[in-house]
Amino acid sequence: MDKAQRIASKQKQISISEFFEKNKHFLGFDTHQRAIITAVKEAVDNSLDACEEGRILPEIHVEIKRLEGDRLELVTQDNGPGIPRDSIANVFGKFLLGSRFHAIRQTRGQQGIGITGVVMYAQLTTGSTTTVLSKIETESTAVKVDLALDTKNNRALRSNEDRIPLEEWFEESGMESLHGLRIKTVMAAKYQRGRQSVHQYLRMTSIVNPHATIKLTVIGKDGEVIDEGEWIRTTKILPRPVVEIRPHPHGMQFGTLQRMLKNTKERNVKSFLRKEFEKVSPLVSKKILEHAEIDEKRRPSGLSVEGIQNLLSAFMAVKIQSPPTDCLSPIEDLLIKKGLEKAIDSRYAATVTRTPTVSQGNPFQVEVGLVFGGDLPSDGSVEILRFANRVPLMYQQGGCLLTKGIESIDWRRYGLEQTGGKGVPKGPAAILVHLASTNVQFTSEAKEAVSENEEVLDELRRALFEVGRGLQGHRKRIGQREKSREKFDLINKILPEIASKSSSMLGRPEPDLSPIITKIMNAVFCEEAVIWDSKEKLARCSIKIYNYTARARAYTIIVKWPERDGVALVENERGGRKETRGLWAWRLDAINPGGMTEISFAVGGMSQGDWKEAEVFYRGNGDIIGSERIDESLLEEIRKQEGLKEVVEEFVDEPLTQSPMIEEVLEVDSSVEAGGEKEWRSDGKLF
Amino acid sequence: MVIVMQDRSRSKEETVDALHAVAAEMHDRMMRGEPPRMTLPVRSKKNIAFDEKLNVYKYGSKKTIRDATSLGSAHQLLRALHVTEFMEDMIESKKSSTLREMYYISEGWGYGKFSSQNESNNLAEDLEIVTGCLREDFKLRPEEDGARIIGNLTFQERNRRGEWMRINCRDDVGDSGYGVPYNVESEKLQLVEHDIDFMMAIETGGMFDRLVENGFDELARCGLIHLKGQPARSTRRVMKRINEEWGIPIVVFTDADPWSFRIFASIAYGAIKTAHISEYLATPSAVYLGIESGDIEAYDLPSDELTPRDIEALNAEKSDPRFQSQEWIDQIDLMLDLGKKAEQQSLAKYGLDFVTDTYLPEKLQQKLGLVIG
Repeated sequence: MDKAQRIASKQKQISISEFFEKNKHFLGFDTHQRAIITAVKEAVDNSLDACEEGRILPEIHVEIKRLEGDRLELVTQDNGPGIPRDSIANVFGKFLLGSRFHAIRQTRGQQGIGITGVVMYAQLTTGSTTTVLSKIETESTAVKVDLALDTKNNRALRSNEDRIPLEEWFEESGMESLHGLRIKTVMAAKYQRGRQSVHQYLRMTSIVNPHATIKLTVIGKDGEVIDEGEWIRTTKILPRPVVEIRPHPHGMQFGTLQRMLKNTKERNVKSFLRKEFEKVSPLVSKKILEHAEIDEKRRPSGLSVEGIQNLLSAFMAVKIQSPPTDCLSPIEDLLIKKGLEKAIDSRYAATVTRTPTVSQGNPFQVEVGLVFGGDLPSDGSVEILRFANRVPLMYQQGGCLLTKGIESIDWRRYGLEQTGGKGVPKGPAAILVHLASTNVQFTSEAKEAVSENEEVLDELRRALFEVGRGLQGHRKRIGQREKSREKFDLINKILPEIASKSSSMLGRPEPDLSPIITKIMNAVFCEEAVIWDSKEKLARCSIKIYNYTARARAYTIIVKWPERDGVALVENERGGRKETRGLWAWRLDAINPGGMTEISFAVGGMSQGDWKEAEVFYRGNGDIIGSERIDESLLEEIRKQEGLKEVVEEFVDEPLTQSPMIEEVLEVDSSVEAGGEKEWRSDGKLF
Repeated sequence: MVIVMQDRSRSKEETVDALHAVAAEMHDRMMRGEPPRMTLPVRSKKNIAFDEKLNVYKYGSKKTIRDATSLGSAHQLLRALHVTEFMEDMIESKKSSTLREMYYISEGWGYGKFSSQNESNNLAEDLEIVTGCLREDFKLRPEEDGARIIGNLTFQERNRRGEWMRINCRDDVGDSGYGVPYNVESEKLQLVEHDIDFMMAIETGGMFDRLVENGFDELARCGLIHLKGQPARSTRRVMKRINEEWGIPIVVFTDADPWSFRIFASIAYGAIKTAHISEYLATPSAVYLGIESGDIEAYDLPSDELTPRDIEALNAEKSDPRFQSQEWIDQIDLMLDLGKKAEQQSLAKYGLDFVTDTYLPEKLQQKLGLVIG
C-alpha cells in the first residue's frame, strides 16, 4: 500500500457522524432554516430521478408539520417505483462510497450527501428514526420499517419492520398508485417563507420538471395551514432517459486516472484505454500510447506516476473526437415554456435550448427562458431562476457564473431597465438559466454557484441574446399592434359615427368613407392572431393584410411557425411553399385599395399555449405595419445551416446535434424493474 | 357714465345654426373624400395678443386643425357632434345642465364619451370659440359658484318665478353677502343703484371676512367682492358691468405669489382659456393693489419660501404676453430675487385691524389717490 492509499483508507475510518458534524455547512445542514430545504431537496430529487428512470410521471407530496421546540416533521410521498425490501437499508443507511465514480451521466443526485444525510441529521438532532414505507409493483403488500444509523459501522439498523396491506398503503400514501415511497422523519429545523424556502425550491423544481405534479402543505402547531403550493404537470412528456457515458480523455485529472488504472479489470493499457474511455478507437489508443511512450501490453495498475503524467499529456496531444452529447438531458425549449407557465403568469415566454457542446471533455448544454409581462411586478429586479442539471440553485446568486452571464448583457436594447447597461436588469420579467452537464463545476462544495468557465459563459450569452431579441421583437409587435388597433378603431368605429351623426343632424346624404379611410390610413396593415382550437386540438393562425393605400399592392407573406418533429401544417388552403425550416411563404395576388386578403392555416401536434404569437414577414414593395421585411441575407444563412445539418445527419452516424428523442408516456410503463439502488445514491466524491 | 354693452346673446335659431356650421365643416370635407376636421385657435399663452381696439388680450391668428387622422382628434370630433346634439335637445326643451352633468350624460355616448371632466369643459369652450356663441346660449351652466358681494350696491335679480327682486348688498343680506348667480346678463341681473367709490376684489375668504367684520365697506365707501381663488366667469363679468355701467374703479387685493398675479391678469387683461370673450369679461382699468413683492420687505411680512413649482410659474409668466409691462417684470423679478411669497393674512402680524387701519388706506392712497376716513 502506498502512502496516499494509506491516508485515504485512514480517512474512511473517521466516524461518519464526526464527518457529518464537521462538514454540515457544505452538506446543507448548517442552519435550521436550510436543513429543511436540504432534506426536502434530497427526497424530491431522488423521487424525480427514480420516476425518470422508471418512466413514471411523478407525483410528489411534501408535508411539513411544526412540532414543539424548533422541530419539524417531514413527510415526502411519491409514486415512484419504490425500493425492494432488501435494498432499503442500503439506500437510506449507507454512504455509498465511490460506487459509481466512473459512470458519467447527468443526474440530479450530484448535490449534497444524499438521503442518508437526512436520516443522519434527523438522528443527530432529535434522536428520531426515519420511517420508510415502500411499495413495489410486483408485491401485493408494502413494507414499513424504521431506520437508524450505526455510524461506527456505516450501516443501517432496522426496527419495527412490518408488512402492510394494499388498502392501508393506499390510505396512507394518499395516492392510488401501486408503487411509491413514503419517508417520514423528525428533525431540528425551522420553516420559513421567502426567496430561500421550501416553497421556492419546489416552485423552481416544478418549472424544470413540467412533467411532475408537486404538492406542498405546511401545517402549524395548531393544525393550521401556514403555507401551501400545488404545481400541476403541464406535459406528459417525460425527460429523455439519460445515457451513461464513459469519461472522455480530455476531462481527465491525475487522481481520477490513477484510480481508474488501479481498479480496472482490463489486463493491458491498450484495452484499458479503449474500454474505459469514450471516443478511443484502437487507432487512437495506439497513438496515445505511442505519444506517451508506453508499451501497449503494460498492466494498467503498474504505471508509475511519471507514466500516468505522460499518459495525461498524450491525451491532450492526440486528436480525439469530442464525447457524445446525448448523455445530457436538456429540458428542451418547449417544456421550459410549459414549466414557466406553470409557475409564473406572464404574457410572453421565449426559450432557447442551445445545441450541446463540450468543454474540457465534458459535454454541456445551456438553456434559457425568459418570461415577460402579465402579473410580473414591473418595479424591482427581474427574478433569476438558476438550475444545474434540473436542480434549483437557491444560494450565492451573486457569485454564480449563470448570474454573471445575465449581468454581462445590455438588456436596455431589449426593453428592460438596467443601470449603465450592466448588472441584474429591472422590469416585469423572469429569466431562467439551466446548465446541463456531466460535470458541473461549482465554486465550492456547497454546490450553489457555478464556477467561471469561458465556454459555458459564451454559450450562455448566445442563448440570452437570442431570447433578448425575441423579447425585443415581441415588444415591437405589441407596439405596432396597439397602433394598428387604434387606427382600426378610428376607421371602423369613430369615422362611421361621425359620418352618420353629421348627416342626420344636417339632413344630408351620408358620405362614402372609402376614400377618406385611404387618406387616414395610407398604409398596409397586417393583423395576426393565433387561437387554440380545443375541439380539433389545433393552433389556428390567421393573418389579414389590409391595403389602405391608393394603389394595388402585391406581397409574398412569410410566417414563422414552430416547425419541429411531430408538428405539421394540417390545414393550409392557400398552399404556398416552404421557405426554410420554420418559415412558410405565400405569394398573394395584388390587393386592391381598400381590399383585404386573409391567410389562414392550422398547425397540429402541439398543445394549448405552445404557440401564441406568429411572426409575420413580407417581401414586396411598400411597408406593412405589423410585419417586418424579410432579411434575405439572414434567410440565406439559415438555409445554408439547414443544408449543412442535413448533410451531417446523413453521413455521420452520431449526429452533432441532438435529435429530439422525446417519448410520450401515455400509460405508465410497468415493465421497468422496480427499485434499484442506482439512483438512490450518495455522492462518493466527497470522501 | 354708462356704457351699454352690446348684447352678445344669440337667439335659439342663431345658436343652432352656428352649431350646425361645425357639423357642416366636417360633413363637407367628408363629401369631398377628405377626413373631417374642426379648426380652432391655439389656446395657449403663445397665441394671445393685445387687441388695441378692445384693450384686452385676445387669441391671435395661430390655428390648430383637429382632424380625424388620429384617434384622439377623431374622438374629439365625434364628441363635438354628440355635444351639439345634446345642446340642441336642451335648447328645444328649454332645459339647462351643468358642465358636470353633461360629463356624466356623455357616459351614454359610446365612443363619444368623455374620459375626464376637464375634456368636456374644454370642448364646451372650443364650441364657444368656433361658433362665437356663449355657453349660456348652449344652456350650459358652470359648476363653480359665483362670488359673494357686500357693500351698498343694489341689484335687481329675476328669481325662479320670473319676478324681479330688489337686493341691497348691505341691508338685505347676511354676513356671507349677496351670491352672484351664474348668469349675470341683463335679462337676469340689473344694476340699480349704489353709493360707493370703488369695488375691492379679494382673493381669500379669510381676508374677505376680516374686512366685513372690520366694517371696511362702510369705512372706505366700497363694495367688497370675494373672488374664491381664480374668479368664475360670472364674477369677472359682474365686475366688468359694475365698472362700465357705473363707472366705478376695480381694485384687486390678493396674496403675493405667482398664482395671484394670474388671478389679476384674468380680471384685467383676459384669461388664456377664455381669450375669445376677453372683451366681455376683462376690466382693463382694474388696479393691482397688493400684496406686492416689495410689500414683503417693506412691511416685513411673515413669508414662505418659493417652491420649485412657484419658481417655474414665475418664469412662465415672464414669457406670458400679459406680463410684459415694466411693472410686472419688476414685480416678478423681485419675487424671484427674494425667493419668498406671502399670504394676505400675514398682515395680521401687526394685529387684526392693521389691514383696515393702515395697509389698505396706504395702498389706496398710493394707487388711486384715495384718502380713507
